[in-house]
Amino acid sequence: MQRTRAQTALMVPVTVLALALSACGGSSGTGSEDQGAGTQKDTLTLGQTADIEGYNITLQPSYQGWFGDAVWDTLLTCDELNNPSPQIAESWEISDDSTSATLKIREGQTFSDDTEIDAADIQASGELIATVNARFEGVKYDIADPNTITLTWPEPQAVMISRLCELGVTSSEAIEGGHLDETPVSSGPYELDAGSTTRGSTYTLTKREDYWDSETYPYQNLVLKVLESETAGINALKTGQIDGVLASAATIDEVKASGQEAITLSGATTRLLITDHKGESIPALGDVRVRQAMNMVFDRDAIAKQLYRGYATPAYQIFREGTDAYIEGLEDPYPYDVEKAKQLMEEAGYADGFDLQIPSVSGQNHDLLIPYIAEALGKINIKVTETPLTGPDAISNLLSGTYPVPLWQLGNYGDSRQDIVDYILPSGIWNVLHQEDPKVADLWNTVLTGTEEESAQAQKDINQYVIDQAWFVPMAYPNGFYAYNPEVKIPHVSDFANLHPLLRDFQK
Amino acid sequence: MISILVKNLLRSVGVLLTVTFATFALMYGDGRGIARAVLGVNASDEQVQQEVIRLGLDQPLLVQYFSWAKNALTGDLGRSFFTGESVTSALSTRVPVTMSLVFFTLVLMIIISVLLGVASALYGGWLDRIVQFVAIGGAAIQAYIIGIVLVFLFAVIWRIFPATGYVSPADDVNGWLLSITLPVLALLVGAIANAASQFRSAVGDTLQQDFVRTLRARGIPEWQIIFRHVLRSASGPGLIVLSLGVISLFGGAVFIELIFALPGLGQLAQSTAILGDVPMVMGALLVTVLVILVVNFLADLAGAALNPKSRIK
Repeated sequence: MQRTRAQTALMVPVTVLALALSACGGSSGTGSEDQGAGTQKDTLTLGQTADIEGYNITLQPSYQGWFGDAVWDTLLTCDELNNPSPQIAESWEISDDSTSATLKIREGQTFSDDTEIDAADIQASGELIATVNARFEGVKYDIADPNTITLTWPEPQAVMISRLCELGVTSSEAIEGGHLDETPVSSGPYELDAGSTTRGSTYTLTKREDYWDSETYPYQNLVLKVLESETAGINALKTGQIDGVLASAATIDEVKASGQEAITLSGATTRLLITDHKGESIPALGDVRVRQAMNMVFDRDAIAKQLYRGYATPAYQIFREGTDAYIEGLEDPYPYDVEKAKQLMEEAGYADGFDLQIPSVSGQNHDLLIPYIAEALGKINIKVTETPLTGPDAISNLLSGTYPVPLWQLGNYGDSRQDIVDYILPSGIWNVLHQEDPKVADLWNTVLTGTEEESAQAQKDINQYVIDQAWFVPMAYPNGFYAYNPEVKIPHVSDFANLHPLLRDFQK
Repeated sequence: MISILVKNLLRSVGVLLTVTFATFALMYGDGRGIARAVLGVNASDEQVQQEVIRLGLDQPLLVQYFSWAKNALTGDLGRSFFTGESVTSALSTRVPVTMSLVFFTLVLMIIISVLLGVASALYGGWLDRIVQFVAIGGAAIQAYIIGIVLVFLFAVIWRIFPATGYVSPADDVNGWLLSITLPVLALLVGAIANAASQFRSAVGDTLQQDFVRTLRARGIPEWQIIFRHVLRSASGPGLIVLSLGVISLFGGAVFIELIFALPGLGQLAQSTAILGDVPMVMGALLVTVLVILVVNFLADLAGAALNPKSRIK
């Protein structure tokens, strides 16, 4: 019998449906095929909420940077408190003036193209990264022999160890070849399986058998899936398609109820950054009484309990507990007291308040926070206007100094010197008006040149100073969550920023 | 027929130029925001400025647009500002995903909505009320909500289909069908709702016409009247529904691809537009506009072929 074209056209979707339904019975549709009875998982599959910026070593994110962790070793590796361990360098020495580090490279380490890692590769990688990262600008490299190199910065580096833990290494030949966007050459525990990879969606990596620290990475294969929607990520975890993903306060109860494990992370402090300490763009902000009044109109207990639904702790300082700058047992320096705040505003001559633009960026929880902030500051007649920043210019605008009081959930690092560098020093990224302060400069000099005890005390003094000067309105330490399959073990989170487990934290 | 063809071609080129230029203009800025986003917060201002120059973002809008358009004509759509990946290569993996969704949704939409529309117009009564109910309900509920419900039921609770991901048919045909079934169903509800009611109206109107009464009076079997005459006459509105359906499906696919983590054009456009990755956005846009223009073009041609009256001005 001859079919007409119409009949044939009808057959296609019917066949498709029939095939689909017949296929349903035989498969769960999950990616857990390596979990056969009696065998241990060989593949670790992680969801990440943002894609990587490709294969170029210079553009790897630190947040959810599992691809970079897998592919490139750094000179040293740091734990959550910035304590270093050997990685490419098996030993190191830092000069007394904190400007240089001499590294001894372990012999016999190779790249995935089987060439040996030597000092020239470190220099080439460092010089490449310096073209996009100001932290490595001006560094000089002195190669004593193929396994010994000295890096010298133009200025003392209080967080030298962090810098050495940041600098990833790829092959100098690959750099010269100019194909970094297409083929990553691994110095790390895994190499890319390009044939099983779909860019923007799924990255498959396989373990390098000759990697020097193979035991730290027990999984034979690593798969990274890009799941930009949190809903998609949680569904993938619940159905066994992935082994771990970031979760939020909105989804964590659902995740736990489905039998998954979760780690609570506290790597951020929600804060207003009052960066115009000198009142250059908004004169009122130059008066410490105004800044203190701004601190007094926030009920931090209510913020933690109601705004964050109990998934947060009230914050009275910006630093992480346990770091040198953190002041143990600090009582709320600015308890919630609207009347006193009004009195301070009046004494400062700003009883009628002033106008303040606070920028918001989507995906940063600002839709939750800014209405509350506007209401709180409105009690002392500070009229807040939310200025939405969108598109690629958002972060650039936020850091431009146009808005002297940004709102952000910034990381509180395991080494408080990093917080001081980023948020307090005049060169700090988030000190958006880059205003100098002699007292901070003096204390920072002690951090750089003093003994360990003097450095720790100077950091505490900086903390106390910025609290007294009310440079920030710290509000809460919000909880973050990492949800994972109970078959995976995460005994320890060693992320310096405490935002998620690192690749080496995933164990069997 | 030739004049229809020429007019359509000229109109298509005009639309293509207008849409691509408008999008380019919307994304145009001083380039520093994009360069900063590429390099990250640890880059110095000087490094950002160098990146602006390297990416060619310091050039005037028209220079940038003509450079892009000239290269696009030769098939070179450039490289991503962020990943360095060739846009053509990115599109080669993304387009099949979205086309799988759109194609299957469209085929199922045509079959189901024609059957529902004809049955509803012919028999009326409870069937007609159901079609109208589905039309209102389907139009009111967004595809992404349907998608979330489908995942919850068929992936999380019953584990029949995967919750996320896409499998290429080249790797595994069954896996491919499984991976697109729920997304297609999510898109299908809204598509059927719209199309079925349109077909119902078109068929209903045609059934009232004199020639149908004449055909019935001549004793021609009802199925022949419907499938040979009524549907042909109602094909004009049907083709409009079809071409609008394609446009609407491309829009719906953006959300569906996010919910199901499908690496398609919608997901590419959404994620790269936020970053300001101009070459990727333009590549995704170009493919989408071309598909829509081709569908409209074919719909016009088919309409003219099926219904000679439409050729007369």
